[in-house]
Amino acid sequence: MNDQANKHWGTALLDALTSLKLAIVLLTLLMVLVLACTLAQVDLGTHGAVERYMRSWLVWWRPDGASWSIPVLPGGAPVGGLLILNLSVAQIRRLQLTWRKSGLWLLHIGLVLLVAGEFVSAMLQVDARLTFEEGHSANFVERTREYELAVVDTTDAAYDDEYGVPQSLLLAGGSIAIAKTPLQLKVVAYMRNSELRNRTDKDPKSLATAGVGPEIAVQQLPPVTADDAQDTPSALIDVHADGVSKGVFLVSAGISAQQGFSHAGRHYRIDLRLRREYLPYSLTLKDFSHDVYPGTDIPKNFSSLVRLVHPGSSEDRTVLISMNQPLRFEGRTFYQSSFGKNDTLSVLQVVQNPGWLMPYVSCTLVTLGLIVHFSFSLGRLQRRRVRAAAAAVGAT
Amino acid sequence: MKGQRWLVALTAVTATLIAASGFFGDRKGRQGVDVVAFGELPAQEGGRVKPIDTLARNALLMIRSKQTVRADGRTLSASEWLLDAMFRPQLADTYAIFVVDDPDVLGLMGMPQSAERYYSFDKLRDHTGKLQSQASAARRVDPKQRTRFQAAVVHLFDRLYLYYRIKHTLQIEGGAGLSDELARAHTQAGQERAQAIAELAYFRVLPPTAKGGWRNIGEGLAALHAGTPQPGLELYAAMQKAYVAGDGANFDAAVAKMLALGRAADPTALGIAAHELQFNRAQPFYNGMVLYVAALLVLFASWAWRPQTLRPVAYVLLAAGLLLHTGGLVSRTILQGRPPVTNLYSSAVFVGWGAAVLGAVLERLYRNGFGAVVAAASGFVSLIVAHHLAADGDTMEMMRAVLDSNFWLATHVITITIGYSGTFVAGAIAAGWAIRRHALRSLDPEAGKALASMTYGIQCFALLFSFAGTVLGGIWADQSWGRFWGWDPKENGALLIVLWIAIVLHARWGGYIRERGLMAMSIAGMAITAFSWFGVNMLGVGLHSYGFTDKAFSALAAFMGLCLLLLGLSLAPPRFRLVRTLAAGLPVQHGAATPHG
Repeated sequence: MNDQANKHWGTALLDALTSLKLAIVLLTLLMVLVLACTLAQVDLGTHGAVERYMRSWLVWWRPDGASWSIPVLPGGAPVGGLLILNLSVAQIRRLQLTWRKSGLWLLHIGLVLLVAGEFVSAMLQVDARLTFEEGHSANFVERTREYELAVVDTTDAAYDDEYGVPQSLLLAGGSIAIAKTPLQLKVVAYMRNSELRNRTDKDPKSLATAGVGPEIAVQQLPPVTADDAQDTPSALIDVHADGVSKGVFLVSAGISAQQGFSHAGRHYRIDLRLRREYLPYSLTLKDFSHDVYPGTDIPKNFSSLVRLVHPGSSEDRTVLISMNQPLRFEGRTFYQSSFGKNDTLSVLQVVQNPGWLMPYVSCTLVTLGLIVHFSFSLGRLQRRRVRAAAAAVGAT
Repeated sequence: MKGQRWLVALTAVTATLIAASGFFGDRKGRQGVDVVAFGELPAQEGGRVKPIDTLARNALLMIRSKQTVRADGRTLSASEWLLDAMFRPQLADTYAIFVVDDPDVLGLMGMPQSAERYYSFDKLRDHTGKLQSQASAARRVDPKQRTRFQAAVVHLFDRLYLYYRIKHTLQIEGGAGLSDELARAHTQAGQERAQAIAELAYFRVLPPTAKGGWRNIGEGLAALHAGTPQPGLELYAAMQKAYVAGDGANFDAAVAKMLALGRAADPTALGIAAHELQFNRAQPFYNGMVLYVAALLVLFASWAWRPQTLRPVAYVLLAAGLLLHTGGLVSRTILQGRPPVTNLYSSAVFVGWGAAVLGAVLERLYRNGFGAVVAAASGFVSLIVAHHLAADGDTMEMMRAVLDSNFWLATHVITITIGYSGTFVAGAIAAGWAIRRHALRSLDPEAGKALASMTYGIQCFALLFSFAGTVLGGIWADQSWGRFWGWDPKENGALLIVLWIAIVLHARWGGYIRERGLMAMSIAGMAITAFSWFGVNMLGVGLHSYGFTDKAFSALAAFMGLCLLLLGLSLAPPRFRLVRTLAAGLPVQHGAATPHG
């Protein structure tokens, strides 16, 4: 009895989950979200609008001046997730494996792949930047929105030993031991975004006791959301070496001056900077060119002529990276992104996305599926027309 | 039967005459000079070499929003106007070419609002100082945030400055002309004047020499001073002298020499410029528009009177319009060396072309006159839209680096615009269906079914192209920026279209909608496509200060309103008598309000 009811209940749920009605409702909700996300970009910027509508579980609405807010719509995550569930289960449950339905299979599998690919990108894609000047080499990339506290052992003139403390550890606070060194760092304060200026007599005494910190007044700011804005994080770090205090340093992405200390005959530099990732190869900017159409300032092209040296695979070659012509190498893709310093400095966008091929595959599948499916429909329609015409002839 | 054949033949001849109309008419302009030959002279501006005719048309479009100007009781072509602006600026200063209709801008100049919207440079001359300071103050504000006054004052000053630059292409204002500048070229003062011309001149008329590329007159005078002979300078001076004196023969001779000089220096660019001049004169899109309208009118007439006789006539007109439209597209593609869609203007031309072709194919399949109406109407409307979009300047401008990829322009952009064509054709059929059910006394259910099957087929077609186009756009973004999808407004707009068609088709497969639902949703699809095509481009503009004064925004709003009206018509019961019933003070009664699909 109980079993029977359970089964009934389970089937009903499955029916609801795989129903075409649900698909239509979800597609409509998705349209509403996309439209809202588009219009909201005017005020929130793309990043903010996407966070609010597409990469959320619920869309909250707060009346003007109110301190409470209520959810008004499901966010992009549940709508997209349910849509994929509905699509996959319905496809398996309802459709037969026949040639006539092959188009629908292809296109629905392609759609699942497309959304899965977006999911993979959202989770695993790493955006970074590589900045270099003509004649200079770079063997690291910098993450675009992530910071790290770097401790660099500069004792040896030939090479530096670098130790990076990721932002997440700094946010957690507490004491951090740097492996293989006698150093112990205590996070006194960490600010995701801040404003720095020269300290005047009116400002309270700085908490920093070493480096340039005592001269600087720092004020905490809320993190930015606009697309073209960047946070300036700062931190106060109490440095101990073998239990001896080396002072409290103010480190910040807004400070370019080098700060450091010495201990037991070794010299250290301490710096808060964009998180670096070192590459097993190096890129040298041989030439950056930026052409405009004659008599105008309309850019015709930007390109970086780069020498790529990989000691591991003894590769040494020249590559031209230009708009629409990225370099794909060892899982990373380098795109021409920006430039500066009177066209002698080039900025490459570096993307690591293990799922980059999925849209290509899914696009092919869906397009193929649509063509196959509509061809079958067209054939059916044609046959019906022929029959109708024959009937009409027969009638006269 | 024989009479009909004659009628069709006569129509074909008329259509050919309309198509070729640009090549008739007098080549001679005022002062007895050959204006057409002058229009063929090459000039470099905006990064490419174009015939002066193109330059004149675009400049006048930007300044006056029209390609002609009324002066001294006659209509001057753009080239004739440019002749005066370059060679006789004192006269051109009196032509009323500047539209000023913003009351606050008029108030700034102490002028009352009047029926006369056009003002000459002479009338505005004394106010340029005030306009300039207001414009440079307004320019510090982000264009999207400007108030109506700020936008209007910047717009007016930009046009004044453009005209000012055109006047200084050949000489310093108030001087004695180019021959005088030439005579002074070797003096210190002359060099300073040459420097000023070099900075102001709007375009470069001197073809490349062994030393350096295209030069403007000022740069030419400097080069001459530095010892590089510039034969073009003498020729332009001769042109000016002859033009002012009304000496047509000498003017034409100087123009011919100048053309020969250009051909020797840069034969490729001159070949393209000559082709472009023919394209300008043929006005394929304008004449195509005329033919489409004619076809549309004949089709309408055919519903009321002798359909068997009139429909072939309409077909001939439609075919001629489509042929011209196609020819124009091919011509532009060759001229630019790029796929047909490179900007908003060309997307309108192309979407209309795609819709017209689709309509013609439907007509061929169904032969019910409906496809032909859709073809003619969409061809006509899109060319009107394109005509208004052309007022921003050169429609064959150079492509910015990030867009400079013929491969992606040819795949992503073309595919997605064909998708737009599809949704518009589906919407147009649905609109026809909606009007028809209120206009006709009795509805033939077979005809309704045929229209529904046309709409359904076109929606499938549109889904295929919209989807492929959207994903190809993602792939292009992945290729050039390293991200496949960024939820950018234009991407979202494309996604909206795909989602909407997907909803329409699934709702139909599920049986939730039938004929009427399909039609209503197809009409809504047109509105969604218009939003994603134009609306998202105005996001910053439309929702902020510029608001309803922006012409494009009001046009879009009007289109949305029309879609809403059609939507209402498609949902209302056939031959809806609401108005009449209300007027009679009776309760609403739907005569034929039985359920219908």
